[in-house]
Amino acid sequence: MRWLRLWAAKAMGLLTGKRLNREFEAEIESHLQLLTERYLRQGMSRAEADTAARRQFGNVAVLQEKQRAQWSFASPAEWFGDIRFGLRMMRKKPWSNAAVVLALALGIGMNVAVFSFVNALLLRPPEGVTAMGSLLEIWLHSRTSTGVQSYMPFTYPDYAYYRDQSRALEGVLAFDGDGAPTIWNRSGQGQVIQGQLVSGNYFSLLGVHAILGRTISSGDDQTVSPHPVVVLSHSFWQHELGSDPGIVGRTLVLNGAAFSVIGVAPPGFAGLLVGSAPDFWAPLTLQEQFTHDKERLTNRHGYWLIVAGRMRPGIDARNVRAEMHVLAHQLELNYPDSNKDMDAMVYPATLVPGPYREYVSAFTGLLLAVFALVLAIACTNAASLLLARATGRTREMAIRSALGAGRARLIRQMLVESLLLSAIAGLAGVILAWWFARLLLELKPATLPIALEVPLDWRVLLFALLVSVATGILFGLVPALRSAAVNAAPVLKEETQSAGLRKSRLRSLLLIGEIAACVVLLAGATLCVRSLMHANTIDPGFDTQHIAVATLDPGTLGYSPEKVDAFYRQLMGRVQALPGVTAASYVNHLPLGTSREATSASRHIGQDPDRIRVDVFRVDPGYFSTMGIALLSGRDFTQRESDSPEAGVVIVNEMLARKLWPAQNSVGKRIALGGEKATSEVIGVVKSGKYRTLGEGPVAVVFRGTLPPARTLVIRTSADARPLLDEVRRTVQVVDPMMAATGTQTIEEYMSLPLFPARTTGLLLGASGILAVTLTAIGLFGVIAYVVSQRTHEIGVRMALGAQPTDVLKIVMRQGMYVTSIGLCIGLVGAFGAARLLAPLLYGIGVNDPVTLIGVAAGVMAVAMLACYVPARRAMRVDPAVALRYE
Amino acid sequence: MAEKKSDVLQGTLDLMVLKTLHAMGPLHGFGIARRIEQLSKDVLQLNEGTVYTSLLRLQQQGWIDSKWGTSENNRKARFYSITRKGTRQLELETENWERIAAVIGRVLRLERQG
Repeated sequence: MRWLRLWAAKAMGLLTGKRLNREFEAEIESHLQLLTERYLRQGMSRAEADTAARRQFGNVAVLQEKQRAQWSFASPAEWFGDIRFGLRMMRKKPWSNAAVVLALALGIGMNVAVFSFVNALLLRPPEGVTAMGSLLEIWLHSRTSTGVQSYMPFTYPDYAYYRDQSRALEGVLAFDGDGAPTIWNRSGQGQVIQGQLVSGNYFSLLGVHAILGRTISSGDDQTVSPHPVVVLSHSFWQHELGSDPGIVGRTLVLNGAAFSVIGVAPPGFAGLLVGSAPDFWAPLTLQEQFTHDKERLTNRHGYWLIVAGRMRPGIDARNVRAEMHVLAHQLELNYPDSNKDMDAMVYPATLVPGPYREYVSAFTGLLLAVFALVLAIACTNAASLLLARATGRTREMAIRSALGAGRARLIRQMLVESLLLSAIAGLAGVILAWWFARLLLELKPATLPIALEVPLDWRVLLFALLVSVATGILFGLVPALRSAAVNAAPVLKEETQSAGLRKSRLRSLLLIGEIAACVVLLAGATLCVRSLMHANTIDPGFDTQHIAVATLDPGTLGYSPEKVDAFYRQLMGRVQALPGVTAASYVNHLPLGTSREATSASRHIGQDPDRIRVDVFRVDPGYFSTMGIALLSGRDFTQRESDSPEAGVVIVNEMLARKLWPAQNSVGKRIALGGEKATSEVIGVVKSGKYRTLGEGPVAVVFRGTLPPARTLVIRTSADARPLLDEVRRTVQVVDPMMAATGTQTIEEYMSLPLFPARTTGLLLGASGILAVTLTAIGLFGVIAYVVSQRTHEIGVRMALGAQPTDVLKIVMRQGMYVTSIGLCIGLVGAFGAARLLAPLLYGIGVNDPVTLIGVAAGVMAVAMLACYVPARRAMRVDPAVALRYE
Repeated sequence: MAEKKSDVLQGTLDLMVLKTLHAMGPLHGFGIARRIEQLSKDVLQLNEGTVYTSLLRLQQQGWIDSKWGTSENNRKARFYSITRKGTRQLELETENWERIAAVIGRVLRLERQG
């Protein structure tokens, strides 16, 4: 209660401050007069009486200061004064301040940029969804495997069971996580758009309402005769249909069938999955129109649905988890064949699916840690600069404290100055972050079908604010405490300033920390960059130039197999006739992509202990020569072999040949592939390459014919493949106007996908390393230069007494190198530890790569020497006569 | 001379000012300073300015009130008077002080005997 009254009094003071001041002055004045009169009566002279009265009354200025403090908060005017003074101090040293602000801005900017990704992936709720808090994601989990592979999306029968049996969940929704690329017949021309299949309760459970028409209902999504309807996304409606207000009720031809538009989703709504931005939503039970898979709704082995449920009021996640275990167990008993060892896991629903979240957070966490370290280096720089400056301002502080400024007042003044620096840096940092985030998104291969929004929303801005303030306090507090602890009397009396040993020790400690952090960062960055260079030189087993690729899927148009074959035959004929084309072929999907087909292989049919897992690629004749894959022995397929399912011939890679028939010629041998009743003959062996990731060990692979309708066209050209891309697109439309090729690109562009993780990490860490070295060099230079300027007098004396310039050089260099060596040692130890965290991201080099560590140590040493040498040179040229006169 | 005077104990000044106002009725700052000087018989050293800090403190707590008036020699002056709440506070503080003084006195006597 008491503080409340005090605050009220202060608040009153705010309003009446001026009057109070005046009255108070009048009161003091009359008091002093009365005292003086008394002394005059006692017989003192006028001057004596004045002095005596003042002595008896005490320090008027201090009293007034105290009085003001009591009837006011630290007044805005006072803060304003501090800020104005701080700005004036900044203008005095524009360059060094600009350097500090720039360094801090880069540090803050990088952190905010990385955080904006963290926010986009992990913190931001899906846009437009109102019921997010009560949503839970459910994933199937296989008890027999570990890691990310142990989590699986739902099959439709499993989903239907959970949906119908759950009591803790008000409703269970499902959607197709892969998305459905669809050919839209846009007045006679095919255009590929993205769809998403969703359950009938999807929109109602999410609380998403159409802005036009209605959303999909459970009535649309029946298993028997579902309604062919779609809900359009707002951006599709806006950009492709010109925001047509009469769109509801109109018909779109998708994959050759008519769908009627029933509504438009609200702006911003893009579903529950990060990276996907569907153009339309269609009922789940219509899946056959999009996936061409008749069995999917009944298949107990087809895992394709992402499932989430909304909790009933009063139910919490624990109840749901328990119920899901029970349901999973019931399914396990009823369908041991498919559901054995299959559990269900529950996660709070976010844009990144539950099982992947920990990987995303680990990766972004690592990046945040890296850039926090960069920021720490920038902070140390700023701190040592301010420390040096504080020494120069000792007199100013002494005078202020002699005039009655309290310790708190001095600290406040100094902190305001450092906070000003960090606030400007924070502002610049946000702008930089916006730009960095755009730059990082640019790195994403254009063909990666991911649409990621990285907004600078309030969370990011709050983070930026907190980081800036924390930064300002962090680097400002030590110098502030230091300068506030000034003892006024000796400073004011003495003119010469003794270089305080304690102060220089603190600066040395800061420098050691800075150098150590720099070594850690640089070692990590170098490892990543080296591994990136390594990854670029890894031989993927096929040529990475002079090849054009394009993906086609006439299956989406519902063509018969004959029509599909005719299309591909015609297209091949025209493509081979294009100028500059030397070879062309089809493959079901390229290696190092996101698709995969696998089976098992052995020498005999039936149980074979030597059965091994192999990857399968389906190719047309000419694939190997087009891709530049060497045929080691045997021959290529003929067109007939590759078209016929009963041909019974395969080509294997060297790895598989060596595994099944060590030290034998494998051409002509028989091979038994998983689930097939007859063996196939090996007609050729090709050189092994990389198939899943660039970093993988040798993988056994079988090549065979019988391509599915979805294929990738590969074209070898005699020169650069880029000019050919437009020709290819045109040719596809000439052969069939309804068809559209996706992912038409050169092989170089294609390779940016497998190299994406290494490239991004390499780029980010490379930037952090360069930043760290630059900042450390500036810091070292600044401190050494400052020390030299402080020791000018001493150096002058030494030189006057006969020291040679080289001696001076040695003294200065020794000081810098001493600090550098200690920092280097600590940093190398840290680098050993940090490198272990990076291990999974590195291609082809050891974690404790000695070349890297030695190189980094030498590099840092060299930079440090340079940073010391420049000021040391200046020290060498000190003229003793001038230096001695100087003080 | 100055060294022999004790500094005014923190917080006791407020009590003295309150008591003075209670005993003497409305007074201005100079009058309060004179009264304390007189009563303390030069034992306590007082920067008279601090009386004003004390007055402001008391006023913000609502224990005293002030009014502008004319002093005995026809000067404009601010007169301070104790409020009802202030009187209650004074009783409380006096009690408190006496209790503490008694305890300290006992402790000091003990020391001397021991």
